[in-house]
Amino acid sequence: MEAIWEYRDLIFIKGGLLTVEVAVYSLILATIFGLLGSWAKLSKNKVARAGADGYTTIIRGIPDLVLMLLIFFQGQILLNRFGESTGLWTFVEIDPMTAGVFTIAFIMGAYYTETFRGAFLSIPSGQIEAATACGMSRPLIFRRIIWPQLVRYALPSFTNNWLVQLKTTALVSLIGLQDIVYNANAIGRKLREPFTFLFAALVFFLFLTAVSEIALRLLERRYSAGIRRA
Amino acid sequence: MNMSNATLVVEDIHKSFGSVEVLKGISLTAEKGDVISILGSSGSGKSTFLRCINLLETPNSGRVTVNGETIGMRYPDAGEPIPVDRKQVERLRTKLAMVFQGFNLWSHMTVLQNVIEAPVHVLGVSKAEATDKACALLDKVGILDRKDYYPAHLSGGQQQRAAIARALAMDPDVMLFDEPTSALDPELVGEVLKVMRDLADEGRTMLVVTHEMGFARDVSNKVMFLHQGKVEEEGAPQDMFNNPTSERFKGFLAKTRG
Repeated sequence: MEAIWEYRDLIFIKGGLLTVEVAVYSLILATIFGLLGSWAKLSKNKVARAGADGYTTIIRGIPDLVLMLLIFFQGQILLNRFGESTGLWTFVEIDPMTAGVFTIAFIMGAYYTETFRGAFLSIPSGQIEAATACGMSRPLIFRRIIWPQLVRYALPSFTNNWLVQLKTTALVSLIGLQDIVYNANAIGRKLREPFTFLFAALVFFLFLTAVSEIALRLLERRYSAGIRRA
Repeated sequence: MNMSNATLVVEDIHKSFGSVEVLKGISLTAEKGDVISILGSSGSGKSTFLRCINLLETPNSGRVTVNGETIGMRYPDAGEPIPVDRKQVERLRTKLAMVFQGFNLWSHMTVLQNVIEAPVHVLGVSKAEATDKACALLDKVGILDRKDYYPAHLSGGQQQRAAIARALAMDPDVMLFDEPTSALDPELVGEVLKVMRDLADEGRTMLVVTHEMGFARDVSNKVMFLHQGKVEEEGAPQDMFNNPTSERFKGFLAKTRG
């Protein structure tokens, strides 16, 4: 235990902060991917629908770990080949932070796509018709009628995805990012006390998920106006 | 170009879903204060016709003119016709309020919020003014005491009366009723019909797709009977109910009288 206290900065402050950073950035990006994906899936455009279907089918069918390694290593090679052949850029190096955030967001975006699509379909179409019949414009209907109900219907599944996403961040330790798992593992090995340090990481994740659950439950209560509880 | 000063003129509406032609050229003129009942068995196209008037369904051809202003449509070579100016459609829709079979209140808003939503956000009325007016309308339809309830906590009859108040809040020139009592329990039909009668007495212009024969006979001043996407018979209710000319309408009356 004293060992953990000694290394608290490296584990909780540096490593923990990096984990939270990766999680929050990838959450924002994944939500955007999810909204775009669900919009494409629900659109009348065949190409958009096929693209979104391909995205969710492939991403949700491949292990996160494989995708992470594939995008980080192979993605960089492909990006550079593309740059060379088109002459648009000569050499880019993806830093591990960008790669990690992007990969996690890309993976989780496929799950959020289904979350938002399902939530949208839960809104009775008659309510959108009623808004249309009142002369409301499409942006206004989205803002006033769809969005508040979309959030409400999406929250339970969104919470689920977020908890998975939070834990998926541990994968960034594989591409060299020094998150809490990487640091706990490294220090634990060095001091020959792996269990103690991994346990510290475990507690840290439990803390994050508990806080998230409370926050999201409060949000759910706020958006539950008018929903009859069974 | 429309020489008549009728409130609503609908000309020769055709509508197909895929290869099925649901409406085969239906026209209707509503003068101010007209209450027109649209009858027909299910599948006759009466609801589709009503939905073509405010463009919830896009007619394949035909013209809709509200207060002398015709909705402009473009007809591309492939696919559905497209309104020339979406803003025009949105503006004219505010003049054509609709009441639905399934009420369609916005479930995340209270009754009062439902009623003031479009006046505030579409017509640009101030919230205070819209609220005053909404309360007066809710009082008129008899549910002012429920103004802070959410739709899920109201009976069907109360929800439909709230939906009528929501439609009235737009100050529409024409009210479109799409089977407003068909989803209600029998004992709740009366309270909604009473509100509709009061509106007719006030001189509101109304188009009512309905199965309520009593309402069609006693309240409306014109009746239209549709069969397979065509007008089979139309006229004043006294004539139509006492001396139906078409065999189909005779048969329809016989069936509905049980």
